[in-house]
Amino acid sequence: MTKIKSILISNRGEIAIRISKTAKGMGIKTFGIKTSKEPSAYYLQFMDEIIDFTELNNDIPEFLDIEHIIYSMKENNIDAVHPGYGYLAENPYFAQKCIDEGIIFIGPSPDSIYKLGNKTIAKQLASSHNIPLLEGSNGNIRNPYHAKQIAKKIGYPVILKAASGGGGRGMRIVEKEEEIEKMFRMAQNEAEKAFSDPSVFMEKYVRNPRHIEFQILSDHHENIIHLGERECSIQRKHQKLIEESPSVALNKDLRKIMGDSAIKIAKVSKYKNAGTVEFLLDESGNFYFMEMNTRIQVEHPVTEMVTGYDLIEWQIRIAQNEKLTIKQEDVKQNGWAIECRINAEDVQASFAPYLGTIEKIQFSNGKNSRFDTGVTEGSNITASFDSMLAKLISYGETREKAIANSLAALNKLYIKGIKTTIPFCKEVLNHPKFQSGDISTSFILNDMKQLYYQEKDEELIAAFWASLNHNIELDDNDKTFIDYEKGKNINPWLMNKRLKSL
Amino acid sequence: MFTKTKKNKQKFIACTEKKNKYEFINPKELYIKQGKENIPIEIVSDKQGFVFVIWKKKKYLVDIIEKNQNQYEISVNGVTYPISVESPFSYKRKKYLAKNKGDSKIEKIQAPMPGKIIEILVEENQEVKEGEPLLILEAMKMQNEILSSFQGKIKNINFRAEDTVIKDDIIIELEK
Amino acid sequence: MDINGKTYKDFKERANRFKHQNGPDKIKKQHDKGKLHARERLALLFDKDTFEELDAFVTSATPDTGFGKIDEAFGDGVVIGYGRIDGRLVYVFSQDFTTMGGSLGAVHAKKIIKVQDLALRVGAPIIGINDSGGARIQEGVASLAGYTSIFHRNVQSSGIIPQISMILGPAAGGAVYSPALTDFVFMAKRTSFMFLTGPNVVKEVLNEDVSFDELGGAEVHAKKSGVANFMYEDEENAILGVKKLLSFFPSNNLENPPYIDTKDKKDKNVDKLRDIVPDDPNKPYDVKKVIELIIDKDTFFEVSEHYAANIVVGFARLEGKSIGIVANQPKVLAGVLDINSSIKGARFVRFCDAFNIPILTLEDVPGFLPGLDQEHNGIIKHGAKLLFAFSEASVPKITVILRKAYGGAFCVMNSKNIGGDYNFAWPTAEIAVMGPEGAVSILYRKELQNADDPKVLRKEFAAKYRNEVANPYIADEKGYIDEVIDPADTRKKLITAFDSLENKHVEPPSRKHGNIPL
Repeated sequence: MTKIKSILISNRGEIAIRISKTAKGMGIKTFGIKTSKEPSAYYLQFMDEIIDFTELNNDIPEFLDIEHIIYSMKENNIDAVHPGYGYLAENPYFAQKCIDEGIIFIGPSPDSIYKLGNKTIAKQLASSHNIPLLEGSNGNIRNPYHAKQIAKKIGYPVILKAASGGGGRGMRIVEKEEEIEKMFRMAQNEAEKAFSDPSVFMEKYVRNPRHIEFQILSDHHENIIHLGERECSIQRKHQKLIEESPSVALNKDLRKIMGDSAIKIAKVSKYKNAGTVEFLLDESGNFYFMEMNTRIQVEHPVTEMVTGYDLIEWQIRIAQNEKLTIKQEDVKQNGWAIECRINAEDVQASFAPYLGTIEKIQFSNGKNSRFDTGVTEGSNITASFDSMLAKLISYGETREKAIANSLAALNKLYIKGIKTTIPFCKEVLNHPKFQSGDISTSFILNDMKQLYYQEKDEELIAAFWASLNHNIELDDNDKTFIDYEKGKNINPWLMNKRLKSL
Repeated sequence: MFTKTKKNKQKFIACTEKKNKYEFINPKELYIKQGKENIPIEIVSDKQGFVFVIWKKKKYLVDIIEKNQNQYEISVNGVTYPISVESPFSYKRKKYLAKNKGDSKIEKIQAPMPGKIIEILVEENQEVKEGEPLLILEAMKMQNEILSSFQGKIKNINFRAEDTVIKDDIIIELEK
Repeated sequence: MDINGKTYKDFKERANRFKHQNGPDKIKKQHDKGKLHARERLALLFDKDTFEELDAFVTSATPDTGFGKIDEAFGDGVVIGYGRIDGRLVYVFSQDFTTMGGSLGAVHAKKIIKVQDLALRVGAPIIGINDSGGARIQEGVASLAGYTSIFHRNVQSSGIIPQISMILGPAAGGAVYSPALTDFVFMAKRTSFMFLTGPNVVKEVLNEDVSFDELGGAEVHAKKSGVANFMYEDEENAILGVKKLLSFFPSNNLENPPYIDTKDKKDKNVDKLRDIVPDDPNKPYDVKKVIELIIDKDTFFEVSEHYAANIVVGFARLEGKSIGIVANQPKVLAGVLDINSSIKGARFVRFCDAFNIPILTLEDVPGFLPGLDQEHNGIIKHGAKLLFAFSEASVPKITVILRKAYGGAFCVMNSKNIGGDYNFAWPTAEIAVMGPEGAVSILYRKELQNADDPKVLRKEFAAKYRNEVANPYIADEKGYIDEVIDPADTRKKLITAFDSLENKHVEPPSRKHGNIPL
């Protein structure tokens, strides 16, 4: 067993802090990277040592600079690297380079990353092992005519997706045949621009599906388990905003079937370490494999709260060749957890990113809530990084209690200086459909009449506050004493000179 | 203006975006009238300096995000409310001017100097506010945000990212 | 005198007729147009019960020509007088649109001239509230002569007493010259207009359909022409603005500006100043944030905010004392100097100089805006204006170079050799003949031509240039900068420096006046 004594965390913000906390708890020395874009970032305070990347003068963003990251790890004799999520977390070349240089990459093998990273290959893997899939093109679409053919076979509506990326870019939903050729061209252009790869595939489009994903843990000793599901249906433009575990849509049987499918994918792709298998669940209880994310995910805390395990800790333990001591039958989901992502976005301006500085921040870290944040007082929110400030995760014995605790925590979360999505989260949690669990990925688009929560008299209070301040200002103006005498008492030397020169 | 009437009462009329109006007399006395009752307001601030208004047993987190003359942007519980504070006279003036608005016009957003368009931040038919960034223009080696000088709807976008523009090129047309 | 006798009764009756003339129906007429009455404006402007009206009962002159009936109203359409604003004596004229349309006739003009003369004689500021239909056609040349006399006095008083114009109604034709000659112009949105030739004439001569607002409304003058320095939503706020502006000036050019105890400490913590200028020299930032931290809290009063936004000018206080600020704005047009910003800066500097207001310059300018448009329109002349203004100014002048200071623009922005008393620089300052990109192209032309990867080499050279040539320490060591300072010390250093310059006096050259390029 190769015990890890030091880890480079090649990431930033809340996840860097999260990883560091667990690593330090295990007696591992943590290294962090300082960038020129945020040299006094909050996460650096949680690292044992800081590697300075501020002098780097190339065009490559620091957290994508494979060469320098590897070099730093060798220079400092660091045993392992945890890439977090995003950046190099799903980059097979980086994972391979680490292995070549004798560095432990905390994650799966380069081969798994590559295979599962390419959606087309991943789907082929799934289909050849009888895992339910959405009917699709089973490969990249060659040209608009080909697109038309496949679409006809699958049946409208269909969705076009970029093979090399996600997040909504290169994605187009097509309802009718007249549009397919134009949409195909548009999807290709977008994919080329966003991922440098115009490859696009097609699949059947399911209306109002739920997004259900399973957390996988797999060690190097043939043990694979799942830690239950998360439901991430509250999404906007394919970005998750609110996640929960477990899901109301799953009963024991469905959980077993889907869980087994998730484990199967992990098994046949020889997947190691932590990963997540994503499914779409339709209104009739049919599920379809979408993709597998070969990294730790943003929303992992809801699984942790409900199962009681520390996923980052298990990632490190698996990476240093330990055996998974958790058996599938040990895994229990106790209670309910809901995570609200707090982003620096102006909900009332169509979620436009809001840049600025956090003047003050206050939250209550109670028994039933956990606040994972990468910002503190004085943090600058710039366009260089994504807009997620923090995650507020709340727990309850039942889903109703979890919702109530989430609202209570949100009501005690105060941030001054930045506009955030807190009012949006409150609106979702107060929504009757969300409360009854009647949600799907089209919830935000179709079911929300207003995107932010307003208390009854808020506008009146706002009006009063403005008027009060104006009242005070006008009165202060009246009271200001202007001292003219000081201006008239001019030093005689100076006055003399002034008079003479006129 | 904010002249005091004989009983030393100063009236403030707060107008909101949706043309709602709220009247307050001597807000410094800290009460809001509901029906015939004057319900008192309490203002508290905690150690960190967050300020709360307590009214009818409910607590509201308040903050002034921006202020320009008598135009305020107030945040209550994280929700933004644009409010303008008027005197009885200026309120009447506002109404008068709103009636004689004049025809909606097309405003042109022109390039203030030659450069390259890095990114267009809006889409056609999008509603924009005054001061909202419309595009990023690179010139003199710096990235400049070009802001909207009016509130309105984007009618036409005549250029794309990567296009070069010369001074006064009409990049975007806004309908007021 | 017997208050029940005829003498007193006649006196009271005349006063009543006067009150009736200015009765509620007249006030309503103005209100219906969204405007305040001439006297209401005065009531808001002056401290309670301090306004004394002059020449209230004068009547119009008989018309020169034979046509047109003239109202026998008192006052001839203008209210003049004096009072105290925030305790200080100020003269005023306020045109009354409800009496003969506020049109200017011989007597009307004489009244204005009267307060102008008084203000100049006494050394007090004068405020003009314009709300007039223009010259009174019936009175013919007498109206024109009236205008010209007013303009002449604007010029005679210029630089001796502060003159402020409020345009709260129409101001057309020749009438606009008076405000143009004064120091500051205030307008209110949608009800103020200024143009030389009105829409009717425009329609006649050019067959163009244009509205009052489009031709010369507040927005046009605040944003496009720069004629208006201040634009307000309504008249009340405009009047509050005038009062605020006045608090920064002395009453005349022999006095120093007044003082307000802002209770803001000299050594308050402004460490945040270190965080404002980004490390990447091509990233913009808002210079107003720098200003806000340096000066006393909430004392910045910006002038011409919407015009030539690439330069920020305005008044502020340092430890209670009034200063003028001129700052390049990197957020707009990269902070370059161009025609409009040069003119805006120059006029502001000259005003501060005339009225003993010290000037603080915050510099971050990459140069002048290049291009045919600027060159053909005379950026050479206009840039020279700002240089002339700074050079000529004999008030205390301090410059802080925040970041870029290249070439000619470095010279213009109050550099040491044109009279800067103290010139500071932040460690982020880059002072050079030319920016790194341009310099590298010239200095290393051969190397770049022969390079395999010119882009990377260029970056290296640029970094080298920044470190070795453009760094502020060279200028410091050669004496062109007095000191490179820690941004966190800026406020302290500035207050100390300005204090030391309190009694600064420079003997002006003995000449009638210079020949500033116009």
